[in-house]
Amino acid sequence: MGETDTRKRGGEAAARDGLVTDERVKWAGVAVSVAFTLAIVGFIALVLLEYVDYGLLFAVVPRFVEAFVRVLRVVVISSVLAVTAGVFVGLGRVSRTSVTHAIATAYVQFFRGTPLLFQLFIIYLGIPSLWPPGEFPVGNWSFATAVIALTLNHAAYVGEAVKGGINAVPAGQMEAARSLGMSYVDSMREIILPQAWRNALAAIGNDQVILVKDTSLLTVIAFPEILTVFREINSNQFDPWTPIVLVAITYLAITLPLMRLVQYLEDRAEWGTQG
Amino acid sequence: MSDGDVQETRTDTPEVEFEKVNKYFGETHVLKDIDLAVENREVVVVIGPSGSGKSTLLRCVNRLEEIQSGEIRIAGESITDPEVDVNRLRQRVGMVFQHFNLFPHKTALENVTLAPVRVRGVPKNEAEQKAEDLLAEVGLGDQADSYPAELSGGQQQRVAIARALAMDPSVMLFDEVTSALDPELVGEVLGVMRNLAEEGMTMLVVTHEMGFAREVGDRVVLMSEGRIVETGPPADLFDSPKTDRAKQFLTRVK
Ligand SMILES: Nc1ncnc2c1ncn2[C@@H]1O[C@H](COP(=O)(O)OP(=O)(O)OP(=O)(O)O)[C@@H](O)[C@H]1O
Ligand SMILES: [Mg+2]
Repeated sequence: MGETDTRKRGGEAAARDGLVTDERVKWAGVAVSVAFTLAIVGFIALVLLEYVDYGLLFAVVPRFVEAFVRVLRVVVISSVLAVTAGVFVGLGRVSRTSVTHAIATAYVQFFRGTPLLFQLFIIYLGIPSLWPPGEFPVGNWSFATAVIALTLNHAAYVGEAVKGGINAVPAGQMEAARSLGMSYVDSMREIILPQAWRNALAAIGNDQVILVKDTSLLTVIAFPEILTVFREINSNQFDPWTPIVLVAITYLAITLPLMRLVQYLEDRAEWGTQG
Repeated sequence: MSDGDVQETRTDTPEVEFEKVNKYFGETHVLKDIDLAVENREVVVVIGPSGSGKSTLLRCVNRLEEIQSGEIRIAGESITDPEVDVNRLRQRVGMVFQHFNLFPHKTALENVTLAPVRVRGVPKNEAEQKAEDLLAEVGLGDQADSYPAELSGGQQQRVAIARALAMDPSVMLFDEVTSALDPELVGEVLGVMRNLAEEGMTMLVVTHEMGFAREVGDRVVLMSEGRIVETGPPADLFDSPKTDRAKQFLTRVK
């Protein structure tokens, strides 16, 4: 079929459907995304060429590297703990034992229902005040607070993702496992959780990206995270664009590999459906 | 007691025995005073209209459903006793489902070896050897490493049968195992079941395949509205049904 035929048919469709035709939507999409990209690339070029002070930039890179390492440490520890704890929260949420279910539900409701910032204050200020003044035994309490609060908060979100993942496994899977004589625990571990994990991976990964960005709140508990460095530099130099560029790079240096890791785990859990 | 014995010798104790079994889903009375015995090496086929309680009857045997009164015994041992170790008794009852319910994250071989290794503690290589034999027996010797998603419905159902057989059950339950299959795949699954019956497996089979019921069944049980309304050898029940209910049902399925 020739080019003109296609055009002609496109024309007829336009006459029938009014303004919104497949062809026009496609070209509108291309136009908008190209325009958007040009605008962004142009703006970034402008910033990089005109507004970034490269002398300052290279001088402050080490401070961002330090913040990167500190944040990465908190993220890795909290994330591993949150995902591990989240699996148990999810199991509690689907438990038919009423005590377990009620406790898991209350936990999720509290940690999802109040701001993380508030949870940071509870731990950072509240816990040490339970000791007589000056006798609180933990040295680096802001690091510990960061890990505890991020873990508790994100375990609630991971728990909901795991619960959704478990509920999405067809009931016949548990029945097949149990009818072979497997115990509930074995069936969960061998059959339900691997499938629930696959179902929940995207949501869990999404939450871990949010966890990375949540570290920006740690500035309020005197933890020198990435934006803390930004503010120090900006207030000393009155030059926002140089540290802005470094902040973007530092966050993306954590979140982009994290998203790749999640994608890799998702691909690995395809089990023969990708040919 | 060794597991092999049960299949080889004819015993007087029925493999499965229902005694005055009643089952409710909330207010709905789904099984009404069911009395039924499946003898060793017997193939009992359950037929009946949709909603008559056939699936529920099967699912009570390995306690996927709880009953409200009466008793069900597996080779003389009550599985409905609240104190009983249900995981132990379930090992003696193989079950095959309408929708296969294979484990999608495990290969055909892993589907078959999982329970023997985890539940029985059979050494892995021994379990794999046996699984390969079973897969060959159901005609899937060359598909051991395939995932369920890579198999046709008929192949998946045959893996599911091999998986159930791997636990050396003394009775096998089949719940409409060919109803989810494309018509051209039904035969291969029925063939496997026929072989099993010929080898002397005790079977309780729910099916709409009347040809299979007639040829392979030793006895046919007709259910209607939660009751067993008629039971007898296939020839008698199909050709000269005694009850009106059976006549009605049989004219509809013919
Ligand atoms: N989980 C359940 N909760 C409530 N009612 C149920 C449940 N399972 C089955 N029932 C009801 O119990 C009755 C018997 O159902 P069952 O599935 O045993 O019938 P069946 O003979 O297997 O039918 P079919 O030929 O359609 O498979 C039906 O009225 C059904 O609606
Ligand atoms: Mg049914």
